[in-house]
Amino acid sequence: MLIYIARRIAMAISVLLVALVATFLLFFAGPADPAQSMCGELRCSQQKLEDIRHSMRLDRPVQEQFAEYFKGLFVGRDIIQSGSIKDCSAPCLGYSFRSQREVKGAILERFPTTATLALMAMSVFLTVGVSTGVLAARRRGTKLDRFVVGFSQVFGAIPYYILALLFALYLTVLNPVFPRSANISAGVGPWLVGLIAPAIVLGLYTSTGYVRYTRSAMVDTLAQDYVRTARSKGISENRAVYKHALRAAISPVVTILGLDMAALLSGTLITEQIFGVDGVGRLTIQSLFQDDLPVIMGAVLMSAFLVVTMNLVVDIAYSFVDPRVRLT
Amino acid sequence: MSLGPGMSADLASLTVDADPTEPTAPAKDSDRQHGRSPSQIAWDRLKGDKIAITSLGIVVFFVLVAVFAPLLVKLEGEKLNVYHSDLISAMDTYPIIGANTAHWFGVEPRTGRDLFAVWAYGARPSLIIGFAAATLSTIVGITLGLLAGYLGGKVDKVIGWTIDLLLSLPLLVVVLAVVPVIQQRFTPAGETLTAEQKSGIRFYVLIAILVFFGWIGLARLIRGEVFSLREREFVQAAKVIGVKTRHILFKEILPNLVGPIIVSASIAVPAYITYEATLSYLGAGLVEPTPSWGRTVSNAQNAYARYPLFLWPPVLSIASLVLALTLLGEAIRDAFDPNTRR
Repeated sequence: MLIYIARRIAMAISVLLVALVATFLLFFAGPADPAQSMCGELRCSQQKLEDIRHSMRLDRPVQEQFAEYFKGLFVGRDIIQSGSIKDCSAPCLGYSFRSQREVKGAILERFPTTATLALMAMSVFLTVGVSTGVLAARRRGTKLDRFVVGFSQVFGAIPYYILALLFALYLTVLNPVFPRSANISAGVGPWLVGLIAPAIVLGLYTSTGYVRYTRSAMVDTLAQDYVRTARSKGISENRAVYKHALRAAISPVVTILGLDMAALLSGTLITEQIFGVDGVGRLTIQSLFQDDLPVIMGAVLMSAFLVVTMNLVVDIAYSFVDPRVRLT
Repeated sequence: MSLGPGMSADLASLTVDADPTEPTAPAKDSDRQHGRSPSQIAWDRLKGDKIAITSLGIVVFFVLVAVFAPLLVKLEGEKLNVYHSDLISAMDTYPIIGANTAHWFGVEPRTGRDLFAVWAYGARPSLIIGFAAATLSTIVGITLGLLAGYLGGKVDKVIGWTIDLLLSLPLLVVVLAVVPVIQQRFTPAGETLTAEQKSGIRFYVLIAILVFFGWIGLARLIRGEVFSLREREFVQAAKVIGVKTRHILFKEILPNLVGPIIVSASIAVPAYITYEATLSYLGAGLVEPTPSWGRTVSNAQNAYARYPLFLWPPVLSIASLVLALTLLGEAIRDAFDPNTRR
């Protein structure tokens, strides 16, 4: 057990390290002139370019650049901005020379919104997905089952952003059936209410996959001998379905949930952009339009970190639930 | 999705592990099945599948639109990227005309471009990127999957680790990061790219990124299959008589994997088309003046209320094309899967 966890953590760390090096190479060795591209302005002043070169050690060999960058992540570093030295504390995700602030601050400010949206969407797709999947499996072969399967297949095959966009345009803007999103500075109430529509749309769309996973897992377990035994000893049908069958059927669903973290992150990004939610995803897209590379770089690092950590947590939690996992 | 009429479950189960080099047990009630490759059987099943045939029809329609885009636009009497500023109201930048015989979908608000031309040409990048990325990622996936599965050991470890790495990177965020960096790489110092150059670079960057992330699924599948195939007698026999590794891989093992490869490729195409449209919508994909349905949707989202004709053609086209391709892919998967029965 311990060996499995240790191996799994080592794997996660090695993946993160490589992601780190890859991001570094992408942003420091990728552009023809990294200082120019970190500046974020078409006509960057000479003074600013010098600041950036110096802060990022761009005038030094590439190993030193990486060492400084790496050091920034773990112990923090100094950033030179128009003559004054600023402290970028660990983990230093970089400094946006365009908006003149630390990337970490910009991301952390938006993070609660993204996390709330993701959690709300997750509760929607887990409840809707699992309960509908169980229902379809129990009524296997009936019209209801065929309808659920067909609907989730067709609905899930239409590109997400099209559905989300139509929903946003026609139901929150043109006919405001649902409240529009609000910045957190407008108060917690409006902010939370504004997240309802995006969370429902993202949750319902994602649930189509979970309906099908749950249905097929339930169809398998409902046919197992132990479920028949449970039924034949006279317990109620609900108890047999939920207590006996669903407990076994839910574990593949949990695995998929773990693997889905990266997809959920992409989902929130598209949702935020379409519904105008001020989360990390929208920040990333705004930075793309403003050529604000340091922010994009910070967002890449943070999302890689999040996905790797979430996968790790799910895998380890899963190894407690299902002992067979540890063998592989 | 559903099997053809008359395809009973026990007939379908005869195709389990159907292997051209190893005749299956003689069919009891059907000589028709005997000696047919899994692909032929799948094709027969597919032909009887109404959903698959309808989907195929829709896909063919869009392919024809893409191929004959110049002809269609000529038929309309228009040209791509001609700006009819005379048809735009100076007051509110909306077109003064609706759809008519000269402009089948009307003209674009603000610019006055013919929307039918934008729509017809917009089918091209979607389909080209979808099919090109699917072809390339299939080739990469096959090669790496075969190598990992057949050679095992260190090669397998490296490839497996790369797969885990790529799976843990959020594709969408990475694309948002890679696109501007690569664009700058190709920008000569002190110059800015023209819109055409920008869009051209992005076109290839999109394909490259989709391939870079897209080979994973197929490689894993092939690796698993090869693990069991390489222990089979016909591979062992080939090895013993000294057949070259390359020959074993591509002539002995690969023909057994045609089914999963076709299935994986057919499911990849709609996924890539979705990515292109989504990225173009978000602003990280194709840029003006290259027509792309995703771009048009993005441009239209501020004018849709007064001018729905701007938004709906690309929206319906992307939705129906991706839906048709996905359903077709699922039908192909079911047709190859000996376990499906309806």
